[in-house]
This record gives sequence, C-alpha cells and structure tokens, in this order.
Amino acid sequence: MKKVVDVSFPIGPVHPCWKEPVRLKCETKGEKVLQAEVELGYMKKGIERIMRGRPWQEVMFLAERVCGICSVIHNMVFIEGMEAMSGIPVPPRAAYLRVIANELDRIQSHLLANFSYCYTIEHETLGMYLLNVREKAMDLLERLTGARVNKAYMIPGGVRFDLQAEDHVIISSTLDQIEPDIMRYTRMFSEGPLIGLRSRGIGILSEVHAREAHAVGPTARASGIRTDLRTQHPTYQKIGFSPVVRTEGDNFARVMVRFQEVAESIGIIRRCLDGLPEGLIRSGGVCGAGTITHRGEAPRGELTYYLKADEYGRIVDISIQTPSIMNIEASAHYMIIGATSLADVTSTFISADPCIACTER
Amino acid sequence: MGFASFAWYLKEFFRREWVAKFLFVKTAPLVTPPFFRDVPTLTEKECSHCRACMMICPAPGAIEVVHGGGVWHPEIYRGHCIRCGLCVETCPETVLASGRILSVQEADGTSFDATYYIQVDQTKCMRCGNCCVSCPVNKEVDPQMGSGGYSSNDEVIMRIEAGKHHVIHEDRCVGCKTCENTCPNTAIRVARVVTAHQGEAT
Repeated sequence: MKKVVDVSFPIGPVHPCWKEPVRLKCETKGEKVLQAEVELGYMKKGIERIMRGRPWQEVMFLAERVCGICSVIHNMVFIEGMEAMSGIPVPPRAAYLRVIANELDRIQSHLLANFSYCYTIEHETLGMYLLNVREKAMDLLERLTGARVNKAYMIPGGVRFDLQAEDHVIISSTLDQIEPDIMRYTRMFSEGPLIGLRSRGIGILSEVHAREAHAVGPTARASGIRTDLRTQHPTYQKIGFSPVVRTEGDNFARVMVRFQEVAESIGIIRRCLDGLPEGLIRSGGVCGAGTITHRGEAPRGELTYYLKADEYGRIVDISIQTPSIMNIEASAHYMIIGATSLADVTSTFISADPCIACTER
Repeated sequence: MGFASFAWYLKEFFRREWVAKFLFVKTAPLVTPPFFRDVPTLTEKECSHCRACMMICPAPGAIEVVHGGGVWHPEIYRGHCIRCGLCVETCPETVLASGRILSVQEADGTSFDATYYIQVDQTKCMRCGNCCVSCPVNKEVDPQMGSGGYSSNDEVIMRIEAGKHHVIHEDRCVGCKTCENTCPNTAIRVARVVTAHQGEAT
C-alpha cells in the first residue's frame, strides 16, 4: 500500500466490534478514509495440512472445524465432493435432510451476522432480539443432528440420523413461531430511522467493483449480481428456489439480503418437510480414489474444496477456498474508501460478514 | 411537580411484585436436552474387546479399551472427546450410549462397517520386522515370533520371509496402527476404510 499519510489508523486486531482478530489499517485525512488495507494471519490453524493422509471419518470433523458458524456447509461440500469423486449415490430422503440441516445453519449464521451488524451500529436491542431467534434455530439443529455447533451430520452416502416423527412436528411449529418474529425484526430494521441513517448509502459497493473484487454471497447479491450456487444444486433445483438480489449495494442492502434469505430459507425448509420422501437415509458406498473440485453456497458465498484421494479414500491433497477472503478484499478496497467517519468503517467491514477463521483456516 | 415525580418514582421502585421478583426470582434451571449428543457413557452391556470404537474415533487419544476389574471396557477421556458419537454408532455390542443415538439407530437400522488394508512401500521397507513383532494380532497368533519378524506360522498377518515383507492375512488386521508407529521408515501404512450402511444388507 502506498503511504499517503504518515500514520495509518489501525483498527484491531483486538477491537470490540471484531468477533475475530483482524487488523484494518486505514489511511485517513481527518476522519475521511483514503485507503485501507487488511492484515490477516493472527489465527492460522494449518488445518489443510492436518487433513492430509486421513480418511473421510477424520477429515469430516476437521472440515467442520474450519469455521464454527457455518460448519454444516463445510461438511456438506466435503462429503458431496467425496461422493461425486467415488460415484456414491445419495438417497432422496437423505438429500432433503441435508438441505434442511444446511438451511437451518444458514438461518443461524445470517442471524448472527445481522446481530454483529446491529451491535456495531450500537443497536443492541435489535441484535439481542436476533440472537434470541437464533437460539431457536440452533435448538432445531440440535434436535435434528444432536449437536449445536459441530454437527457432523452428513456422511458419504447419506446422513447419520433420520428425522424423527415428533421432530418433524416441532421443526414446523418452531418455524411458524420464528417467522413472524423475523418479519417483525426485518421491518424494524428497514423502517428504523436511525438505523437508516447509519446504513443507507454507506459503504456502497457498485456492481462493477463487486465484479472486480470477485465478491460472493450476500455481498455480491446486495450489489445486483445474481449469483447463488444453490441454483446449481440438484436438490435445491427440485425444491425450487430463487436467489435474493438487491441493487443498492450499501450496508443496508447487505443486511436486508440476509434477512430476506432467512425468510427464503424458512420457505425452503417448509417445502422440504412437506415433500420429504420416504425411504432409506444411507446407501452405503466406499470412498475411492480421484480428484475433484466441488463447490457449494455457504452462508457467506461460494465455498470450494479441491480434493485428491488415494484408493482407500484417504485425502492426499486438499485445498479449501472460503468465501470471506473475497468479501474482505471488496470491503477493504472498495466499500470503506470514502467513508466519512471511522464508526462507518467498522460497520461497513462487519456488514460484509467477514469470517476470519474461514479465511485463515 | 418535583416531589410528585420523585414520589411516583419511589412508588414504582418499591412496588410489591418488582421487589418480590428482585429478591426471590428463580430462573429456569439449565438442563441438557435428552437428544444432545454428549460424551458417551457406559451401558451395562459387556464389552467384547473388538476395539471398533477406538478404530473409528476421529480424535486422537479420546477413547481406549482397557482391562480393569477382570473385564474389558472402553474408557473415554473427556478432554479429548469431541462428542461426535461415532463410537456409539459403531459399537456392535451397544456398550456405549450418548443422547438418543442408540434408540434412533435401532429405529433406522444404521451401522458402520470398517475394513482395514495394509500398504507396504517395498522401496522404503528395510525388513527390520518391527511391524511384525509389534502387531498385537501376530503376538496372539504366534507368541514365539522371532525378533526379525520371522515366523513359521501361516496364520499371522504379516511376516518377513526370504528377506522380504509379506502380508499374508490382511483380513485379520484390526486397524490399530501399532505397526505404523514402530516403523522407522514410515514404510507401512494402515488404511481404515469405513462404510455407512442401513438395513440388513451389511
């Protein structure tokens, strides 16, 4: 970064608004941000190196631990990659159950991201309301999979546990409970005048810049790019779903996209529960050798796994590309530039939902 | 005006239900729901010492089948256990229990099935015989095995024969990876291949 001022203003690595350590160096004139740069590397885990030489039943758990907030999608992309590589079929019931787990995970992840944003713009009331709803989504996940954070639900050829009859009822009734709450909080967010002052027209990422920075996920969709890998997933195609796209490109749009996707996810889960096919949840199948690049839509955007396995299904080489790094770049190099207040810098950065644990792995 | 609002404040502050709530409030106790997949506990069933739980465990050093009080039983180290529940699902004797895994598993008819394969890199192997001697199955089959890994017993898993490492009975391997740990050249590797099944087809 070319220095334009003598002192670049550091935000982080320890900052009340950051959930994870990351350093943002802003070159400022007064409070106007001229340039910004991100410094990563405070929590490198080296998890891809640990994964090498291990079979799926060990890598599956490591893949979940790449990111605690979106653990289901890491598991799903890894397992679907292994299945595609070895030609293992998935029973339709298991495919639907996977979608239910994934969408519940998306709900809780989006609500947490929106909580962080509300917390950053000092609207803690709405933030705490959102965390209350998130708790219910996590309880549903616990009911379905037996755990709240690292679920370990999907395995090659199916899922681990079937949906019990009483859980079917509880999931649909809890969704009926939380849907009006989410509608209410969405309205509170979209109509709140002070929230509007802090969010509308701030941190604008135009479509051109979003494409230049390769923004993905809700950040790209808030800038008018229609990209969602769920449209290419066979189960989602069967269920029917259309991505949420907004065109404003500001903080407000990014948070609203997430709110609307939560509503969309509730609809997807309802359709899954209604059309849940009967039958087996596991098809057997042995993981074998091969190389594959597999993609999936994480709550934050496109997640890519490159996998190479030997003849016994052990991982020889693996590399993970997580969505956050593109959004962090877009945030530091396009959204923050021109921010007129340092308080807007933190809120703009958080609105892109940066997940540092994913980024550094 | 000032006094009236002060009096109103005091009255509001000391209203009976608020004071009672402040002094004697009871929050609902935190309970672990029955469906939470916690650290496995032992049931009353008898362990057959097949070590399937140890072989499928993804966390290093989380479970061990030990001999104590005249019987074999799995011992779980809480600090290492990641509560994945694979050991509960894979145990053929239902010795372990966690959450409602056992009842759900019985209803679904699901199981895990593991096979083990031994791979020897002949270019790295220097025929020291450490793997053959340390193998617990070999020890059981042929206690007289020579220190170089020589054996006249045809029932052993592997032996050194005519200056070369031979794997004879791969199917007897229990997947413990003791040979991997004793090999000075990392020439031998054990693959644990786990398959998930449902129904009687296993």
